[in-house]
Amino acid sequence: MIAYLTGRLAQTVVVVVLVTTIAFFLIHAAPGDPFGAAMENPKVTEAVRAQWRASYGLDRPLPEQFVKYIASVARGDLGWSFSRQRPVAAVLKETLPNTLLLMSVALVASFILGIFLAVLQAMKPKSLTDKIIGGISLFLFSMPEFWLALMALFLLAYHFPVFPIGGMRDEVMHSSYGFGGRVADILRHTVLPALTLTLLYSAVVARYQRAALLDALPAEYIKTARAKGVTEKSIVRRHALRNALLPIITLFGLAFPALLTGAVFVEKVFAWPGMGGVIVSSIDSRDYPLLVASVIIGSVLVAFGSLIADLLYRVADPRLRDDH
Amino acid sequence: MRVLISLAAVTVLAFSACENGSRPSSSGGAATPGGTLVISSGGEPDVLFPPLMATSTAHQITELVYDHLADVGPSMNTFGDADFQPALAKSWTWSPDSLSIQFHLDPAAKWHDGQPVRASDVVTTYKIYTDSATGSPTAATLESIDSVTASDSVTVTFWFAKHSPTQFFDAASQMLIIPAHLLKDARGQALRTTSLAQTPVGSGRFRFDSWKAGASAQITADTANYRGRPKLDRVIWAFASDPNTLFTRLLGGEADLLEQISPPEVPQLATHKEIRSAIIDGLDYNFVCFNLRDPANSTRPHPLFADRELRRALTMLVDRKRIVQSVYDSLAAPALGPTVRAYPTTDTTLQQIPYSPETATRILDSLGWRVTGRDSIRRKSGRPLEFTLTVPGPSRNRVNMGVIIQNQLAQAGVKMNIDKLDFGAFIDREKHHAFDAIMGGWHVDPSPGGVRQTWGIAGATEGGSNYGYYMNPIFDARLDSALSSSNPTERRARFKQAYQTIIDDAPAIWLAEPKTLIAIHHRFHTTKLRPDAWWANIADWYVPTGERIARDSVGLRQ
Repeated sequence: MIAYLTGRLAQTVVVVVLVTTIAFFLIHAAPGDPFGAAMENPKVTEAVRAQWRASYGLDRPLPEQFVKYIASVARGDLGWSFSRQRPVAAVLKETLPNTLLLMSVALVASFILGIFLAVLQAMKPKSLTDKIIGGISLFLFSMPEFWLALMALFLLAYHFPVFPIGGMRDEVMHSSYGFGGRVADILRHTVLPALTLTLLYSAVVARYQRAALLDALPAEYIKTARAKGVTEKSIVRRHALRNALLPIITLFGLAFPALLTGAVFVEKVFAWPGMGGVIVSSIDSRDYPLLVASVIIGSVLVAFGSLIADLLYRVADPRLRDDH
Repeated sequence: MRVLISLAAVTVLAFSACENGSRPSSSGGAATPGGTLVISSGGEPDVLFPPLMATSTAHQITELVYDHLADVGPSMNTFGDADFQPALAKSWTWSPDSLSIQFHLDPAAKWHDGQPVRASDVVTTYKIYTDSATGSPTAATLESIDSVTASDSVTVTFWFAKHSPTQFFDAASQMLIIPAHLLKDARGQALRTTSLAQTPVGSGRFRFDSWKAGASAQITADTANYRGRPKLDRVIWAFASDPNTLFTRLLGGEADLLEQISPPEVPQLATHKEIRSAIIDGLDYNFVCFNLRDPANSTRPHPLFADRELRRALTMLVDRKRIVQSVYDSLAAPALGPTVRAYPTTDTTLQQIPYSPETATRILDSLGWRVTGRDSIRRKSGRPLEFTLTVPGPSRNRVNMGVIIQNQLAQAGVKMNIDKLDFGAFIDREKHHAFDAIMGGWHVDPSPGGVRQTWGIAGATEGGSNYGYYMNPIFDARLDSALSSSNPTERRARFKQAYQTIIDDAPAIWLAEPKTLIAIHHRFHTTKLRPDAWWANIADWYVPTGERIARDSVGLRQ
């Protein structure tokens, strides 16, 4: 097990270094520079822009910039954000937890809801319930994130103002609340974006899980259980579901990077102060250090998600363990 | 049609209810301070350190937290000192030769940490702004100032190398005065990492409260301010990057103010009686800039646009009025030239190149550009009359204008391709003069002198902002003459001559001068909104006690 983990860790390091290198050179190859927006301000002369570039080392040859960047990352310094004028680590510290909160709520809710819907469908395949849930899942699966988010915003925050329109807290009242009030305030603001993401992801989970359950139901052990007089409900829940979870484990591993990147559009629509806005604005403003740091975190999450999925596989399927 | 009617209704409403954006004071109700203004803001500040800031939101926040020595008045006249209002400086004295101005600081002025504001703060501020290691965008506007010295703790003198009509503006309103005692000799890159960059400590009527990245920034009333307590308790900028969210926040009542309302949003806005709108002249103009030099080799003239008559003919093919109407409705006016109507120096009777496809066709024929093939494209010696207009893709208005121009030119046998780029790539093309024509836009200063950099010979050097290489010494000479004139009537006449020169030369097709439509909740009683800074007098806005809602009565935290 230790050898396995060490091997996977080494793989992860290689992947992250490769991704960082590619991201660094790709973003630098894109036209424009971090101080391009200042070009539309006639007050910002070329001398000033040159001064800014020099102060960030952008006047140095690209390989030299890369070596310096890698060296600073190795020391734990992710650089200085040009667009936000603060250390990249400080930007991530402010925004990453917000995205993690939103995405973890959404992912947990979507897996629970998705599996529940799949069980309902699998218990009576081709029934009206199965068809309705399948139709709704397909509809949600086909909808662009931003459209669904906008509809949720207009319906549940504007026309029927049940939830706040945007942000993560009430900017006027939040600081005057007690601890419980602050938690409730954040939860109230989390509902709409989390609901949008839950609807989207649960549709995916339900479709995968339904297919896996329908594959498992004709198996011999299910027939045996039926012959023993076990109820259909119990067969699906206790026997088929456990054996049909493997595809969901894969899906969970794949969904992990979405903790960082999956909510870009939803965060934008609901003005959620998370990584989505950071990634988009860092691309727009050619904020190289911030963008590359976001890519590094993304690749770490991909590798981490894949590792967790593999480990869960080994737990779920004894044939994959070392002793077999 | 519905859009037009609604927009007209809103416009009438705006002008009848609030001349120049202000809402008249109601009787009583303003005596008790209170109120929270929530601004739905599409942009976040980059940094809150005045010498380094670049974004509009950073300007809004810092200009309420810090003070100038004197403020530009409602007329936006930046020549002389007649229209300026005292701020950190209570008064000022000119030397007999006009080569120095002595500012007398208000002795009661204090920083928000309780320290008194001193003349040495002004000296340090000037040093930081002009230090090349700082790289301040404002440094170039301070070139007329030779030095700044402190005569005593509350008297500071600005020395000038030569007289200029805007020297008072340069000294009094280009810099926000920052506290020297909190900088501890930091310079260059170290200034970006000082605590002031994120948590400003100023002397303005509002003090900084908080800035949560991606969420909000907040300032609160400085209750013991030397210029008087603001009438509002706090101002909050609630950030969102999606235009739908920004607008919905306003309509849903979570925000009180939104600037830059777009024409499609106007009809919906008109249905909300609790929101009023104010239209103010803008400081932006956009245009199609022709490259007068060959983009492949800038030492050679452009094969098409070096020809003045061809440029004039192309300008005659473009119906600017229709374009502005189609894209902006009544929220813009056709641009007059490289200037804006908000300048007191702008004469609106400038003679424009008329829209006249017939005349343009005759000129093109006479220049040898004739339709010869089946494709209806004009040719001269086998070369088609074809060029590419580069536009910034994210700017919906500029893209729309490009499409209409493409259609209008096509009707006369001119083929214009549109190259839509993301903003970074667009800027890169501009910077390297790598374009035939570009859909440009400038946001100008309150002072008209910046046109020298954008259209004068000085800006046509490598790295300058005159991207189309327009160079006419007569235009420059007339501009210099206007900028050095001290008589307002004469100045206006000379500016008119300079602008007429460039309009006649047609280095660009002057398209639109967008106005700013600000929507604001009706409970706010505002003062006159300045075109260059509508937020300038927020400290004097108020909400009558009878009209306050829950968030207006939260009060200040102790």
